[in-house]
Amino acid sequence: MPRFTIAGRPFDLDHSGVERVARDLLPDPVREHYVVMGGRRFPPKQVISCVTGIDRADFTTHQARRILKRLGFVAARAGHDQGDEDVAAPARGPHRGRQAAALEPYVGKWVAMSGPTEVLVAADSPGEVLAWLSRHERRASFGMFRVPASVEEAEGVAPL
Amino acid sequence: MRFDFLELPGEAERLVRPVVPVQVEDLEDAPQLCLIDTGSTANRFGAWIAEATGIDLGAAPESLVMVGGVHTTARHARAELTIAGLRYEAPVSFCDPWPFAFNLLGQEGFLRFFRIELCAAEFWLDVRPEVARD
Repeated sequence: MPRFTIAGRPFDLDHSGVERVARDLLPDPVREHYVVMGGRRFPPKQVISCVTGIDRADFTTHQARRILKRLGFVAARAGHDQGDEDVAAPARGPHRGRQAAALEPYVGKWVAMSGPTEVLVAADSPGEVLAWLSRHERRASFGMFRVPASVEEAEGVAPL
Repeated sequence: MRFDFLELPGEAERLVRPVVPVQVEDLEDAPQLCLIDTGSTANRFGAWIAEATGIDLGAAPESLVMVGGVHTTARHARAELTIAGLRYEAPVSFCDPWPFAFNLLGQEGFLRFFRIELCAAEFWLDVRPEVARD
């Protein structure tokens, strides 16, 4: 298990242990840098702070990002998502598939969106989403809904 | 006001739905995406919204209805909705359980207040408040 020194203290961290902690977290708003865990984007400092218990003021984003990359997580910068351009042009829909692709990781979850492809938060219940918006003083100007897992959930088709 | 259809993840081909954001009461931070359903006689929302916005359903009349093959208890109340810049008081049936992804905007409580133009070929809909008639 790799050992890292953060704020002068040693920590033994591994990929699965960090991922396990992140599973129970709601991602804070991403400002610039993020890491992807379980299909969700987290600020690197949020993850490292939760895993180690160290205050976010005691280490830098770059340090957190470097550690998480070494553990095998994808790290990127908001607004530099190359994947958006790779969506096939003929895809149906007003956003040529980009919106569907942005929602893909959140099937079955409640999401709050600030724009057509910007998911602010995803959670298991609407109450968690509302609490997150309130806590972070954010507005889901595009709307809030549950990403359907099936056509039946999307439109209320009667089951056979 | 023009809204794009919503793209949803789907296996075979992109699913798109005519939805509009609806502010319920003073829940400004989280407008609810609602599906326009010309076949629904009433607005039908998940009951959690009433709880989240402080609408008291304690004394609300209730009925058992079937929506999309699901039996649900509908409690009938009135709620302030804001759609396309218009705030108005509408009848809403708050349903529990509500296993669907979207709330439904139906005839009473939505369509009679707005003029809708849909263009499925280009994935948009226009929603304009109906001009008041005497």
